[in-house]
Amino acid sequence: TSASSIPSRNAILVSHRQKGNPLLKHIRNVRWSFADVVCDYSLGQNACALYLSLRYHLLHPDYLYFRIRELPKNFKLRVVLCHVDVEDVVKPLLEVTKTALLHDCTLLCGWSLEECGRYLETIKVYENKPADLIQGQMDSDYLSRLNHALTTVRHVNKTDVVTLGSTFGSLSNIMDASMEDLARCPGIGERKVKRLYDTFHEPFKRII
Amino acid sequence: MVQFHEHIITDLLEDSQGGLVILSAGLCLHKLVASLLHLHHPSQGSLLILSSSPSQKSSIIRSYEATIPPSQSSQSIPSEITSDLPAHQRLSLYSSGGIFFITTRILIVDLLTHRLPTTSVAGIILLNAHSLSDTSTEAFIVRILRSSNRTLFVRAFSDRPDGMVSGFAKAERTLKCLFLRKLHLWPRFQVYVSQDLERDPPEVVDIRVPMSPYMMGIQKAVIEVMDACLKEMRKTNKVDVDDLTVENGLFKSFDEIIRRQLDPIWHTLGKKTKQLVSDLKTLRKLLDYLVRYDAVTYLKYLDSLRASESFRSVWIFAESSYKIFDLAKKRVFRYGKSDGRKSLGQIKTSVATKRRKLENSISETDLAVPTEGGAVLEEVLEEPPKWKVLREILGEIQEGRERQSLTDEDLITDYSGNDNGIVLVACKDEHSCMQLEDCIKKGSHKVMQEEWENYLLSKVELQALPKRGKKKMKEPKGFGILDGVIPSVSGQKAEVSSINRQEHEAMIAAASEIIKHRKKDDLGDNPETCEGGEALKRGKTKNKNRLKGGKTHKKATTDSKLDAHPFEDEDQKNEGTSSGAGGSLGLEPLIDNKQLPPVHFYAVDTDQHILDILQPSVIVVYHPDMAFVREIEIYKAENPSKKVKVYFLFYEESTEVQKFEASIRRENGAFESLIRQKSLMMIPVDQEVSLRLESFVESQSTISQNMVTRKAGGRKEAEKETQVIVDMREFMSSLPNVLHQRGMRIIPVTLEVGDYILSPLICVERKSIQDLFGSFASGRLYHQAEIMSRYYKIPVLLIEFSQDKSFSFQSASEIGDDVTPNNIISKLSLLVLHFPRLRIVWSRSLHATAEIFASLKANQDEPDEAKATRVGVPSEEGIVENDVRAENYNTSAVEFLRRLPGVTDLNYRAIMDGCKSLAELALLPLERLAELMGGQKAAKSLRDFLDAKYPTLV
Repeated sequence: TSASSIPSRNAILVSHRQKGNPLLKHIRNVRWSFADVVCDYSLGQNACALYLSLRYHLLHPDYLYFRIRELPKNFKLRVVLCHVDVEDVVKPLLEVTKTALLHDCTLLCGWSLEECGRYLETIKVYENKPADLIQGQMDSDYLSRLNHALTTVRHVNKTDVVTLGSTFGSLSNIMDASMEDLARCPGIGERKVKRLYDTFHEPFKRII
Repeated sequence: MVQFHEHIITDLLEDSQGGLVILSAGLCLHKLVASLLHLHHPSQGSLLILSSSPSQKSSIIRSYEATIPPSQSSQSIPSEITSDLPAHQRLSLYSSGGIFFITTRILIVDLLTHRLPTTSVAGIILLNAHSLSDTSTEAFIVRILRSSNRTLFVRAFSDRPDGMVSGFAKAERTLKCLFLRKLHLWPRFQVYVSQDLERDPPEVVDIRVPMSPYMMGIQKAVIEVMDACLKEMRKTNKVDVDDLTVENGLFKSFDEIIRRQLDPIWHTLGKKTKQLVSDLKTLRKLLDYLVRYDAVTYLKYLDSLRASESFRSVWIFAESSYKIFDLAKKRVFRYGKSDGRKSLGQIKTSVATKRRKLENSISETDLAVPTEGGAVLEEVLEEPPKWKVLREILGEIQEGRERQSLTDEDLITDYSGNDNGIVLVACKDEHSCMQLEDCIKKGSHKVMQEEWENYLLSKVELQALPKRGKKKMKEPKGFGILDGVIPSVSGQKAEVSSINRQEHEAMIAAASEIIKHRKKDDLGDNPETCEGGEALKRGKTKNKNRLKGGKTHKKATTDSKLDAHPFEDEDQKNEGTSSGAGGSLGLEPLIDNKQLPPVHFYAVDTDQHILDILQPSVIVVYHPDMAFVREIEIYKAENPSKKVKVYFLFYEESTEVQKFEASIRRENGAFESLIRQKSLMMIPVDQEVSLRLESFVESQSTISQNMVTRKAGGRKEAEKETQVIVDMREFMSSLPNVLHQRGMRIIPVTLEVGDYILSPLICVERKSIQDLFGSFASGRLYHQAEIMSRYYKIPVLLIEFSQDKSFSFQSASEIGDDVTPNNIISKLSLLVLHFPRLRIVWSRSLHATAEIFASLKANQDEPDEAKATRVGVPSEEGIVENDVRAENYNTSAVEFLRRLPGVTDLNYRAIMDGCKSLAELALLPLERLAELMGGQKAAKSLRDFLDAKYPTLV
């Protein structure tokens, strides 16, 4: 829809082969334009993508291999974007997986055109983004952190965190609570009491 | 031992291969297993017990010990094989011919590494057979053992018949995966069982306690909301309509029914349907807790729920749920304004006195309570009706005994001879046990009072100060829930304003009262006079209250926490008006003079089977439970000479009754269906089984041959075999089993990097969908991708979906319009951008994974075990071989620690070295933390976090 005429560095370059692919309708957060590129989508200096519909793959099983073979090697990230649009996925997906894996491509699966489009957008938008987001940083407010910590104990849910917090007043009190006190909390049953208590009182390292 | 247990055992022993026994819940499976263990003799080889829960384990051992015949007193009791034992010790135990509890994970690893000679195993006893499937590790173990040990027996048990009928032909499939032919069904209605149990049944008194009008109201409202949710659910046309009944909704298994139907299409469901599913679960809990918790605890739970439920919850805003909150609150307190043109309570006078009191205390203390306009917080503190009935029963029992001792002397001797006079009160959970015990000891309204004070304190203590002077926020509004609707519609901060502010402020006032009193108690060296003075000031205390007051004074001195005084007469009045005045008053002195029989409280949830130990003659079933009732029946059948009287306490017309009756119906239904299945079952006759085994062994020939060649030391066929190196921790999952089924050799080792090594180049980190989200959030996946990329040429992230769940992350409608950082798409994109060499494998199911592995391994070299284990192991640290971290570390504590502020990858090991446990950490002073964490700043952020006051949400 919004194909700008001047190819820009901030746009996804789309191969003419993709003309008519309804996927293009779903690239809305990033500009894109047609260009002469070998891959289907050029997502910047380092990344490119091939689009493959599993239904198409069933009809033309060799297509993917030939497309990958002609891809230039200079992209660091080479994505095979696979649209899962068949019911019986196991066999075709196995073939695609193997071809991609053995020919240095990263396989990404989307179950709708929206999802496929979103992958293209995101890879382009995040092109130069640091990895903090997936390095384990989290919301820094007290409650999120408390939730984050307490919910490591299996089956402890957010309601329990509220209960524990309001009953004991602080995390150190929770960590020091007796089994009996824990058991007094509504919604915290036998097993949760034991899990919580063990987490806090069993030594970090078991004696070997 | 009851006779039908003998029948079960004789039947089971008929087939040397073993069999699958399904019996009704509560028929003392542990005793059955214990008697079976007595038949074992070390010369047969060792006997392994799999998949027992910890409580089953201890009760089996206990019954085993209790029934050791004197002739065999030297016989060793069953012990446990854990991974703490070094390998050679495990080996010597395996070949000792003893009886062992063992986890499937250790057993499978020892089998695969040939540490356990298959011929030294006589048989396997498998508990909880209902949780078995053909991909579970138990099936894996039996397959390996059977393939080389033809004399092995497998005796499988389950006392959850309803669990055996879920899914298609589950019983038959379970038999097949254990290579069994015989299915033994022992329902409660089986003729031997009912004969045994009904020959001389215990005397039963069925007491129906009416619920209070408020409880009825709440129950009705919850059921209405539930019904509404179910109707909505029906509209979606996604779930079989037959399953959508309120009766089904009462059971936990309802979630499973719904889940099984919805999971495969989960991603196509709208938000509303998903919310409905979770709402139904919440509502079920509300019904359950209504009959189990007291009014204050129930309200507290509702408050927590409201604070944590998402705004999307449909039910919270349904019309009837207004009633739930409102009635729950009315059971605890009433709130009104002092100009009180309208009396909120039925008892005008009490409102008046109440108000006077609050005003009094306010002027006395000069506390700037924002509602000096005259808020009235009137405690109602409705007691659970069963409490009173329990006291009456106990009194009655005692009276009866006294009368008997007067009239019949002979009986007494007899009575003291085989009867310890203990009354057993069986509740569902520990919480109720403790509370009831308090009720008997201290009197019930004291307990309610304590709950109420704690409730107030936990709620408002922290906000009392900052809220001062915020008078402007006063708005003339109705009850909390009404305005709760308004902000939630607008979307934000519903929890903050969901309770009426004035009411809230009144609570603050009440709470600060309590705090004040507690302080006084702490400081004042003569609290008795102090309180007495107050009581006089209040003037209106009546005679009997003064008496009571005197009593509480004594208690107050012993327990500074108690200060029920200001509310005393209130309660008394309530009790008086509740018509049972005579009864309750008559009981009071009884309690104080300790003229109650010895009472023992027992939580059925703990599964400890204490009937045999306590030998009670009277049992009060406070929370009816089908399995426990059967245990009583067996206890009686085993002690025919003993008189056993059982009181059942049901709330009349409650879901409790419905649930109890339905649980029996459901179990019978399950058995009927199993009986039908058994008659139609393709019973694999003798040859068939061996054929199946034969063909199985053939298909596995590469493996067994390898085993042989390995033992022989020759490796002729080495080039044919395909092998996968698997991390020890992965044996919690079923993938190793499925890979083995496909004919791969599984080598279990401890891997520092990756979960599966397919070839010298390919290293796989496997993530189920749940793991994937979790390890993105924790940053673990990033770290794993990093380290795999460092050591392997082809690092692979395997994203494994579950066969019965949908194959996708989200539905198209959930994707949203923008690129948002929290979406899984964003995280995956970021991961591939940062690790362009990381390959992703998307697998539909376990079986698909096995196929993918096989195909990836084609044309690749076999992985090297020794090399794989060395990868990523820090060389200077002498890491022990076969070190299984999950067993050596308290993993949930470590994970917990790593999520605390100030704790980093660099310092968490030092912290673990410096203190033993989290509880100890909670007490460390700042300086010590700074030493351990290598910095003042980190230490301070941790200390602050630990000590931070939990902000109240309401």
